[in-house]
Amino acid sequence: MITVRDVTKVFPGGVVALDGFSLDVCRGEVLVIIGPSGSGKSTFLRCLNGLDAIDSGTIIIDGVALDKNEANRLAIRREVGMVFQSFNLFPHLNVEENINLAQQLVQKKKLAEATASTHALLTRVGLLNKANRYPDELSGGQQQRVAIARALALHPKVMLFDEATSALDPEMIGEVLDVMRDLAAEGMTMLVVTHEMGFAREVSDRVVFMDHGRVVEEAASKDFFTKPLHDRTRDFLSQIL
Amino acid sequence: MQVKPATVSLFDALLLLLLGGIAVFIGYRVAVQLNYQWNWGAIPQFLFRYDAQSGRWVTNYLTQGLLTTLRLSLWASILALFFGFAVALARISKSLYLRLLAGTYVELMRNLPPLVIIFLFYYFLADQLLPFTGSGRINAETHPLLAAVSALFFAPPAQLTPFLSALVTLAVFEAAYVAEIIRAGIESIHKGQWEACHALGLSRWQSLRHVIIPQAMRRVLPPLTGQLVSLIKDSSIVSVIAIQDLTYQGTQLMASTYLTFEVWLTVAALYLVLTFPCSYLVERLNRRVNRLV
Repeated sequence: MITVRDVTKVFPGGVVALDGFSLDVCRGEVLVIIGPSGSGKSTFLRCLNGLDAIDSGTIIIDGVALDKNEANRLAIRREVGMVFQSFNLFPHLNVEENINLAQQLVQKKKLAEATASTHALLTRVGLLNKANRYPDELSGGQQQRVAIARALALHPKVMLFDEATSALDPEMIGEVLDVMRDLAAEGMTMLVVTHEMGFAREVSDRVVFMDHGRVVEEAASKDFFTKPLHDRTRDFLSQIL
Repeated sequence: MQVKPATVSLFDALLLLLLGGIAVFIGYRVAVQLNYQWNWGAIPQFLFRYDAQSGRWVTNYLTQGLLTTLRLSLWASILALFFGFAVALARISKSLYLRLLAGTYVELMRNLPPLVIIFLFYYFLADQLLPFTGSGRINAETHPLLAAVSALFFAPPAQLTPFLSALVTLAVFEAAYVAEIIRAGIESIHKGQWEACHALGLSRWQSLRHVIIPQAMRRVLPPLTGQLVSLIKDSSIVSVIAIQDLTYQGTQLMASTYLTFEVWLTVAALYLVLTFPCSYLVERLNRRVNRLV
């Protein structure tokens, strides 16, 4: 589903965010990426949908290469949904309009058609009663659930979660993780950058530990936490668990 | 913002006394030393006069000047908004060519005195470009309807060409400031909004049109309205190219009546009539936006 080979990303100023990074993700797999801050986790997700451009290497998503070709880039942007740490809902639009927007502009749906599928999505994340509210009237957890629904509206083949729960108050993390858990159960291919080890252990199929822009260790999640191979992984786990 | 309770301290009282003293001194100088003969009674006839021929009250110099200033400001504002918006878009464009072009224009306008710009434009536009528009050919005999429309919305046919020249000059000058305000507004939108649009597959234009600009416009509405107040004030410079605006009528009246103080105090009051409502609007908008953001 996703093939990443020898990807390098150097930020202006010389910071190496990704250093010969390679990874394969299967269809329907839930992959959790962990690592210390500055290890390149978020940069990797941002490169996957073209938010950051890679300097060298190849990224192929569902048979489409993310290269200089504008049509390919656009296709990938539309097939890869992304959920941000800071939600990034559109504050001037209400919940329904937030989710309608891309359906109308990108999929060229009629308003009624878009609204119908928006309501279905809102039901799925349990927020149909908030359809006419504006983002600033919602709690952080509710906003993030709307953001997930918005990303799902284009029927993406892959969903990227960039620290989706890090900006939330503790009591709201659960409701967002529940939505992500449901999504995983439905067979969505998911790449999740998170600090929620419980979620990683319980929901993910595989865990990747990154440091200095490289994969240090990757293992099936049931093995990763019980039998880490590398010292650095052990150090990191002992710090956060 | 917290409102402080109003109390008068000794320092305030002294300051007030000092200011009052200065006002009395100036009044004394004008009344006694200058030996100035106030004649406010002569002013109302320059606002409205009774036309014996038609038996009606008609507008006179000062009111006509006020109306000219109003027309000029209105059209120049509309033109400046559209042009400034286009320049702002050019300044944030992906094309280096457009960015440089718009950047040069903005810097040029902001670094030249408006008076110099108006002379440059007047002699260039009015002499070289405007004849092509045919604005000079309209007159009451051949095109009575066009002439009437022109007189109502712009200026009487005889003054139409310089009026258009002044209009374009003002618009082009103010558009540089409008463009900077709008550009700053667009750039003030958090980059997460762009990223969300990108992730949803929106094109750059769709992102601007549906997400970035609607948010930016809310933020720039107060400074933009403030700029329009500036435009009304700046419009007084067109009096140097003989546009019969409020300031021009003021200079003419002063020269013919010698009622210096009365004329200019009246002119000032008339400008305030135009600008105060706008400033009040800015204040209101500022409060609303601060509540929202």
